[in-house]
Amino acid sequence: MFTQLVWLVPLFPLLGFVINALGFGKWSKTSASIIGIGSVLLSFVSVIFLFMEYSGSGQAQTIKLFDWIVAGDLRIGFSFLVDALTLNMLLIITGIGLLIHIYSSGYMHHDEGFGKFFAYLNLFMFSMLILVLGSNFVMMFIGWEGVGLCSYLLIGYWFKNREYTAAANKAFIMNRIGDLGFLLGIFLIYLHFGSVEYQDVFSSASFFSAGDAAIVAITLLLFVGAMGKSAQIPLYTWLPDAMAGPTPVSALIHAATMVTAGIYMIVRSNVLFSLAPVTLEIILIIGVATAMISAIIALTQNDIKKVLAYSTVSQLGYMFAALGVQAYSTAMFHVTTHAFFKALLFLGAGSVIHAMSGEQNMRFMGGLKKKLPLTYFTMLIGTLAITGFPLLSGFFSKDEILLSVMSHNRIMFILLVITSVLSATYMLRLLFMTFFGQFRGTHEQEHHLHESPPVMTYPLIILAFLSVTGGILGLPHITGVHHVLSDFLQPIFINNTRILPHTPELIAEVAVWILSIATLAVVGHFTYRAYALAETDKHPDISKKSVWYRLSYNKFYVDEIYEKGIVRPVLAISSVLHRWFDQFFIDGIVNGAGQVALLLASILRTVQTGNIGLYVIIMVAGIALTLFIVVFKFLSI
Amino acid sequence: MNVLLTLSIAATLALFFGVLRLKNLATPVIVIGLLASLVFNAMEWNNTTSIFNDMMLYNNFTVAFASVGLFITLILVLFYSELSAKHEFHLPEILAIMLFGTVGGIVLLSFRNMVMLFLGIEILSLSYYVLAGIRKQNVYSNEASLKYFLMGAFSSGFLLMGIALIYGVTASLNLNEIAGYVNNAKGIVPPYFLVGVLLILSALLFKVAAAPFHFWTPDVYDGAPTLITALMSSVGKLYSFGAFVLLFNSCFIPLIADWEVILWIAALLSMSVGNITALYQKSVKRMLAYSSIAHAGYMLLALVGINNLTSGSVLFYALAYALASVVSFVVLYIVRDKKGSYDIASFNGLAQKNRMLAVVFTISMLSLTGIPLTAGFFGKFYIFNSALQSGYYWLTAFAVINSFIGAYYYLKPVVAMFASKSDEEITMPALSNSLLILLGILIILIGALPGFISGVI
Amino acid sequence: MNTIFQQIPIEHYITLSAILFCIGVLGVLTRRNAIVLFMSVELMLNSVNLLLVAFSMFHANPAGQILVFFIMAVAAAEVAIGLAIIVMIYRNLKTIDIAELSKLKH
Repeated sequence: MFTQLVWLVPLFPLLGFVINALGFGKWSKTSASIIGIGSVLLSFVSVIFLFMEYSGSGQAQTIKLFDWIVAGDLRIGFSFLVDALTLNMLLIITGIGLLIHIYSSGYMHHDEGFGKFFAYLNLFMFSMLILVLGSNFVMMFIGWEGVGLCSYLLIGYWFKNREYTAAANKAFIMNRIGDLGFLLGIFLIYLHFGSVEYQDVFSSASFFSAGDAAIVAITLLLFVGAMGKSAQIPLYTWLPDAMAGPTPVSALIHAATMVTAGIYMIVRSNVLFSLAPVTLEIILIIGVATAMISAIIALTQNDIKKVLAYSTVSQLGYMFAALGVQAYSTAMFHVTTHAFFKALLFLGAGSVIHAMSGEQNMRFMGGLKKKLPLTYFTMLIGTLAITGFPLLSGFFSKDEILLSVMSHNRIMFILLVITSVLSATYMLRLLFMTFFGQFRGTHEQEHHLHESPPVMTYPLIILAFLSVTGGILGLPHITGVHHVLSDFLQPIFINNTRILPHTPELIAEVAVWILSIATLAVVGHFTYRAYALAETDKHPDISKKSVWYRLSYNKFYVDEIYEKGIVRPVLAISSVLHRWFDQFFIDGIVNGAGQVALLLASILRTVQTGNIGLYVIIMVAGIALTLFIVVFKFLSI
Repeated sequence: MNVLLTLSIAATLALFFGVLRLKNLATPVIVIGLLASLVFNAMEWNNTTSIFNDMMLYNNFTVAFASVGLFITLILVLFYSELSAKHEFHLPEILAIMLFGTVGGIVLLSFRNMVMLFLGIEILSLSYYVLAGIRKQNVYSNEASLKYFLMGAFSSGFLLMGIALIYGVTASLNLNEIAGYVNNAKGIVPPYFLVGVLLILSALLFKVAAAPFHFWTPDVYDGAPTLITALMSSVGKLYSFGAFVLLFNSCFIPLIADWEVILWIAALLSMSVGNITALYQKSVKRMLAYSSIAHAGYMLLALVGINNLTSGSVLFYALAYALASVVSFVVLYIVRDKKGSYDIASFNGLAQKNRMLAVVFTISMLSLTGIPLTAGFFGKFYIFNSALQSGYYWLTAFAVINSFIGAYYYLKPVVAMFASKSDEEITMPALSNSLLILLGILIILIGALPGFISGVI
Repeated sequence: MNTIFQQIPIEHYITLSAILFCIGVLGVLTRRNAIVLFMSVELMLNSVNLLLVAFSMFHANPAGQILVFFIMAVAAAEVAIGLAIIVMIYRNLKTIDIAELSKLKH
């Protein structure tokens, strides 16, 4: 029984971490990368074995290693749960983690702290695996904090830069706010269920009626935790800032794995969430709002990684929208495909940045298509996948979300469709600005342009392949084929009696398809004109031509109308949102809380005058107040 | 009993070696004494002995708390004799006084009579008054010593008044008889008795540095020599809390309705005042001093709803806090020795110059913050669990929020270590280096496998 | 044996020690000279001693008087240490006014 050996999965990265941490600085880069990659490879192989065994038996198993925390009646085991959901996450984490580790060995090759980097990455893998493998909420929380810590370490990896450390701090503190909610949620769960083991909690959840205040409170607190980790409004501004870290880190932590922990948590506790319709409604609204606002902000960003970061926030919003309508397996489907194409996009962006000697501003790129053909090709696939190009993975998962939301709430559906137009716009803008047109960087950069080494491009190719074919996991209902992922995940909803089976109508399915294809075509056309061709326009003097020619030449001024009526306002909104909502409002609140605390501190410290006289007076006053209890007690009798 | 004798004999021998100019012998004697008492202490496990006609009772509770206290004292003695030896003319005397303080501490962990409570507190405090002022030429050290002494003596007055009042009502100083009286009274006691309990409570709150009796703490911790501060904040707190748990657990539980409100107000105030004021501090030493008030607040949380989990969770927390606090003060001492200032800026670039120091310091800060997989997390976890069991939901929620504030200031020196550059080399003596590594590993190990400690008592 | 001390009701002893104790506390609160502060603390301890002896007589129980001996011994030790600290401060600062001692603050 291989499942008994499940502890090997997190053990390998832990060993990798220990070895690299002890040896960093002393060993060669090759050995550091062999240890780093090897440990993840071993763990990936173990996951494959686990997967094969599970698909053979279909039995979820809990493997308890030992009693971990014992305090009175509370016994929390150090135990692992292997079921469909865990395996789904494990495959993503170790599979994509492996590719990103391999990629990193090329990307970080020039870095001094190579061993340290791999040590951190392995530590992250370990924590993330604990997060998804644990069979109770405390284990999940341990992993949850662990990934937060690693993300902090890795964002601040290039610690020589002040701004980077500031970003790391912000990520840490915002995450702590979320963690606080999560922890309080766990305490509430323990109080109401008397246990934190998934099995006990979910099987006894059926004793609660829907909308029970305790369940609503628990789910709201858990959702606050998810907000922090998965960057939802209002706890999302740390994610774009987190792009200060090395690009493979952004790909692994801030796109493929860690940020989806919140979704994992909600899917894991789907029984509880289904009992709290209020929470679900809030999740839907926040998910849609996040998706939309961050997509709008992404429109005007010029830093290639920032665009991708906001895009990640937006896609996470999609996933939350799916959770909000109880389409749990749909959310997991999007988690999976998103992991493929967003990792691909980040790694591709990393390849571009690598080629541009560290330049991240897209204004100084352009025309890289010829110099970086492989990167271009894979990025193209990633972009098409995320924009929902027919038959690529993103197409299926995104449409599934749209369909689920449509049957629930039309307004939210429309907002999500608008968002998908916006996301197509900013992604194509990124692609065109980077790879099309003329090169706009310095000569030195141009001279230095080169395709990345194979160790970096092979992961890109594999991810591109996955981005293309990932849709097979969840072919739509219309095809008559079984939804592989949904069937696979079915066992985790066994305790949940409140999910409504819903089969989308054929007409709706087709309508959504046509809608997304049409918007993609239109957006593709305009963005291509605006960003790929714009500079080649030599501005010929056409004022002397006939009215009809001019109308025709100018495509009946559709562009201008589009430009003045839509593009300008949207871009204006975008920059306003970025400046005011993001930086002023959200960050303002976070900083404001700090200011209030500091103000309080400055008041409190003035009491500490250094004069014993005052200290003694306060002490005696304290004792006198204490004795008042006696007075009250005996007066009242 | 053997433990107390061994410690006293070793300390007295060290004093003689100091007088006889055999200073090099003093440290070995002290270390051997501590090791021997650790062994004697361990031998008392599951072997409850009554000493001096029930004046003291050496049981598993005592053994568990005393092992932590002796171990931490041993570590600090080793640090002190290696790091401070070059500045110190009176090393044998200082180490001897540390041991005398430990004697007082162990009395506090085993008393069954109010006389011994008073004696224990006085032996512990008198040693600390002297240690705080051990730098005779340093005006800060002088001031710390005087403040500690005056306020400590003042609070002893209240303690004694409380003991006298209780004696007046019960005609006994023996804890078992007092407990018998309280149990018979069924919650209705004369006002004198209640005043006595509350005065003792106030005096103990003073000793554990809880607000609003905390004012001496920042000044004394700041002014005292850094390694002495480490001693006071780690084991000093452990002994005082041990005495607190012992006394209230054995005598005053039936009166809980009358004193719990004071405890939770004190816990609330300590957490808030400690954490918020720490935010403002530029000096790491003062920041740690304020944060120690906050930690006292967390530990009070376990006492508020006193139950069968209390002593275990207090022990775990005290151990976790002691380990992290010793590491942080020792690293602070080394940094200050090099840079001449306690400011956060002194930590700039430490990660480049001495990675081991930086890593160990980071671990201790994470533990103080309460990040999982460090001892500090489970310390908080057990404390919160204990408070939740007694139904203090809001207070626990408040404590959790407070513990998140802590992250903000604990990470400041960590960021400084990793974010900036520095040119000065920092080298470490071999023994201290390996001790620091040992402590760092212990923090992680206890954080990874907390069950082994928490199951003890 | 019925001495004059036993004829005085116990309440009188309690009142007297309470008054002495409060005088001690007030002395600590109002004075600025470290030695006077210290003497006030001693007054507090002595009021407790008086109370303990009274209770001991009242209950015909020796434990209270034993504690008085311990308190006196400890108070002597405290005097030794306290005066040493005060002398040390006087040497360095040429003052024992506690209001002047506020280098450590905030």
